[in-house]
Amino acid sequence: MIHAVLIFNTSGVPRLTKFYTPLRAESQPLLQKIFQLVSTRPASLCNFLDAPELQNLLGSKIGDEVRVVYRNYATLYFVFVVDGAESELGILDLIQVFVECLDRSFENVCELDLVFHFDDVHHILAQVIQGGLVLETNVDVIAQAVDEASLARKTSFLSANPLALGTGSGPRSSTLQTPLNWLTGKLGGIGAR
Amino acid sequence: MATTMRGLTQFIADIRGARVRELEEKRINKEMANIRKKFKDGNLDGYQKKKYVSKIIFTYILGYKVDVGHMEAVNLISSHKYSEKQIGYLAVTLLMHENSDFLRLVVNSIKKDLDENNEINNCLALHAIANVGGQEMAEALAEDVHRLLISPTSQSMVKKKAALTLLRLYRKHPDVIPAAEWAMRIVSIMDDDDLGVVNCVTSLVMALAQDHPEAYAVCYQKAVDRMERLIMEREYSATYAYYKVPSPWLQVKLLRLLQYYPPSDDSTLLRILQDVLQTIMNNSAEQSRNVQHNNAQNAVLFEAISLAIHLDSRSPLVGTAAVLLARFISSKETNVRYLGLDTMAHLAARVDSLESIKKHQGTIILSLRDKDISVRRRALDLLYSMCDVDNAELIVGELLQYLKIADYNLREEMVLKIAILTEKYSTSYKWYVDTILQLINAAGDHVGEEVWYRVVQITTNTEDLQPYAARVVMEHLRSPSSHESLIKVGGYILGEYGHLIANETGYSPSDQFSVLHSKSQFCSAPTRALLLSTYIKWVNVFPEIKPHLVAVFERYRHVLDSDLQQRACEFYALASRPEDDELLQNVCEEMPPFPPRESTLLGRLNRKMGDTGDKRIWVHGGKEANQEHEAARKATRKPTLLDAQPTVSSPDGTNGETILDALAGLDLSAPTEAKSELIPPIPPLTHGANVDRWFEKLSCSNDGVLYEDVQLQMGIKSEYHGHLGRIAIFIGNKIASPLTSFTATLHVHDPDALSVSFAKIPPTTIMARTQVQQLLQVELKKPFNQNPLLTITFLAGSLQTVTLRLPILLTKFIEGVKLGPSDFFERWKVIGGPPREAQVVFPITLNDVGQVDTLKNRTVISGHRFTLLDDIDPNSSNLVGAGVLHTSASGKVGCLIRLEPNGDAKLCRLTVRSTSEEVASGVLEILRSQLSAPPSFA
Repeated sequence: MIHAVLIFNTSGVPRLTKFYTPLRAESQPLLQKIFQLVSTRPASLCNFLDAPELQNLLGSKIGDEVRVVYRNYATLYFVFVVDGAESELGILDLIQVFVECLDRSFENVCELDLVFHFDDVHHILAQVIQGGLVLETNVDVIAQAVDEASLARKTSFLSANPLALGTGSGPRSSTLQTPLNWLTGKLGGIGAR
Repeated sequence: MATTMRGLTQFIADIRGARVRELEEKRINKEMANIRKKFKDGNLDGYQKKKYVSKIIFTYILGYKVDVGHMEAVNLISSHKYSEKQIGYLAVTLLMHENSDFLRLVVNSIKKDLDENNEINNCLALHAIANVGGQEMAEALAEDVHRLLISPTSQSMVKKKAALTLLRLYRKHPDVIPAAEWAMRIVSIMDDDDLGVVNCVTSLVMALAQDHPEAYAVCYQKAVDRMERLIMEREYSATYAYYKVPSPWLQVKLLRLLQYYPPSDDSTLLRILQDVLQTIMNNSAEQSRNVQHNNAQNAVLFEAISLAIHLDSRSPLVGTAAVLLARFISSKETNVRYLGLDTMAHLAARVDSLESIKKHQGTIILSLRDKDISVRRRALDLLYSMCDVDNAELIVGELLQYLKIADYNLREEMVLKIAILTEKYSTSYKWYVDTILQLINAAGDHVGEEVWYRVVQITTNTEDLQPYAARVVMEHLRSPSSHESLIKVGGYILGEYGHLIANETGYSPSDQFSVLHSKSQFCSAPTRALLLSTYIKWVNVFPEIKPHLVAVFERYRHVLDSDLQQRACEFYALASRPEDDELLQNVCEEMPPFPPRESTLLGRLNRKMGDTGDKRIWVHGGKEANQEHEAARKATRKPTLLDAQPTVSSPDGTNGETILDALAGLDLSAPTEAKSELIPPIPPLTHGANVDRWFEKLSCSNDGVLYEDVQLQMGIKSEYHGHLGRIAIFIGNKIASPLTSFTATLHVHDPDALSVSFAKIPPTTIMARTQVQQLLQVELKKPFNQNPLLTITFLAGSLQTVTLRLPILLTKFIEGVKLGPSDFFERWKVIGGPPREAQVVFPITLNDVGQVDTLKNRTVISGHRFTLLDDIDPNSSNLVGAGVLHTSASGKVGCLIRLEPNGDAKLCRLTVRSTSEEVASGVLEILRSQLSAPPSFA
């Protein structure tokens, strides 16, 4: 099962934290530890890491085999903490799916999107993983589910604020057009490991 | 949406603007204080609550601890506005955990959202349960979740979420879920058209099947069928192809699920699986240039290899796999190397012969020096698994070498593994002691207590070893620096066995004392205490150094540590007693051998298995280790209904034999043991006057109706040649809508006697008003006495089950023979009376005119394929028949029958004589039940 999904930027600031098992201690030291584990590995090494040292920080019911599967996209690290029941390559593919979904719904996702639309990011993640298990892996289906939810949100927002000018539902509002384009070109495979 | 809340946007911008961490904290504290105040004042509208809760969530995501907002989140959940509800749910799933007190407050709102006819709200509610569901939610909501999962009106999205939510609840509180009862219904969803749904349900089935393998046995067939459709027939929607690989996640899951069951004994399923695995391996022969494509393909491949190993570690497929793996472990891609080593460790853990792996020993040892620690770990695991008596010295030697330069967090595990391997594969005690002492010397700090305890245990129990051990430990202690663990071992062994070597030069009592005592000043208190115990033992055996020892006790009587002081005082008193006192001798009696016990080392290594998630299907270590693991896994499995039933003793009362059989089974490999346990519970038979009548008719004829109701019609055509039979079952759907999730399973009571299997996996759907044909292959190996059963389940509105006896009887395999009177009587006499004769007298009903119904009797007997011999018995109503039963394992068995009805007494005597007792009684039983039946069809 997947125990945690985390996104860090290259300076170690968490941009998404989602734990599927209750933590034993506070999350900050754990986050730092994970980032330190991942960020010190050069690009040529594999995307998997055994991390028995995390066991004390994670919840008590986690088995022996804590593994960290991560992927680095430009300035962001996508880190999944999983146990022995998951296929490592499967998780690696799942990260790619998650990133493709983010990219699809934010149209060229950038770090700022993750910052200002943290709720949307969580909703997208919720369509991919639920309670630590893979829910859906088909990018089209995920995007459709996300669209339906945002439509419902838009409707409820408009019915509540008939005089509102902005619809408030577009994932990217006009005030925040700062795409960094960090992802385009990465998806094709050059830098995407 | 977040951006429509200006306050929130501002807050986020402020935090981003904070240059140092202190400023950021300050801004957050200010905001939290503000929020607390607002919440305290109360009177907030939905929008405001949403805004503040959003800020709290953002703060939480940054890693800060938040302690407000829970109540407001609970309120937001019950809002009618979706945007507020959504934020409320988000906060609940992020801020709360399963033991939160606040959760009690949301159960009702969640239940309401689950019951609502709005799938978006259903989804939110399901998602929340899946994230934070605990005991209370499980009890209150499991039924609702299950309803959403099986309801035909649920959309795919809802079904997927419901499946995973149910899984979560099951993992947390298995007692609330009637897993066995829901089994068929849940497994039937594996036939869903939406691969996403199949994926989620497979996750659920995987978890449930581990605990209830019998109830979920049918999922094996479903998984094989799905793999065949994905891989061989390439039947999937294009959107589910991930970089041209059809849903790799689903494939991995199905392949893993199949590994939870022992290899099937259905030859059809096995053949399909072989084809599927072969195709997967062929596909991966060509690596493409696209990274994602390779990843996905390899994910499937590695799982397929694992399954192939699980199915039969000697099959040619595994041979191919070994070649592939060898290529992988020297690949340039780090990921591939990593997984190659991992899978090879699985191979090493299962195969009988390690030869194919040993060929690559050099490469594997080189991998210990890979630049990536993840790869190094896997190489270590593999070396541990592939070690045996032949290569133990080499591998342990390499590991010891590597230990000196290994990463710190790898060392403890390495020490344990080296210690285990050394003990397990040591060919000489000498080598064992040398290696362990070297190990303690090289990695002192990482040597757990267990390691040196074990050395002491083994030395104590092995008399030949004692002098050698004492000598070697002494040599090690002489080196200028020795680790404390080594001093402990030294203290204990010299204390017990120092006297054995005291006469050799260089090992005199005073040498021993000076070497050991020179180290004591660098030791911790517990070690010194141990040394004191050593000294008192020496007082007993080495009177010549007693003054030195007593002096030591004297000095220690004044140390501050209470334990040391007490020991010193007691030992001092003991040592100062008069020479001829026997107390000291008695106290210092040599240690008795330890009772043989399991090595604590292995326990330590295996202790850390978690209890959540899916169980491992194999453990590191050799073949035996895996058999133990398998046995342990079975022992911990919850007892199911089937296990609780007392084992039925065989009818002829040879109970002692079955126990012997069971014992003999112990040394077979684990999977065969499991097989006998995995007979699925037999569903109750479908009853009805017609059902029995159809069955009886079919027992004496080859074609006819097997079953019919308003929805379904089943007919049979069969033919038998010798011990083989082929049965075509025609299944017709009589209604105007398709029967979906169609499943047909066979229950054969004794697969060793009779094998019945489908020629191919039955289709999962039967279209409206159509008929499908299924071919069954039957082989008689030995006589049997219970009819095989056919269970059919399908979805037509709800899940329906029909279970029928198949008209496969012992007599179907009989071939009639024509015998003359002399031949017949000769054979009849040769066979003789009981036990090879079976006889019964039973009442009969006469026909309309009050006479014995000879016509019916003739039909029955010839219907059961005996040749009627007319010229033997002068009485025309007495019937005599002969036949030969064909079996593949017990050869041909002759069988003679004689039927003597008596019209006046309304009784009939039936005698069957056969060269096999089993056949005689079996045939008797079959014929009796048919002959005594009222004349319904003659």
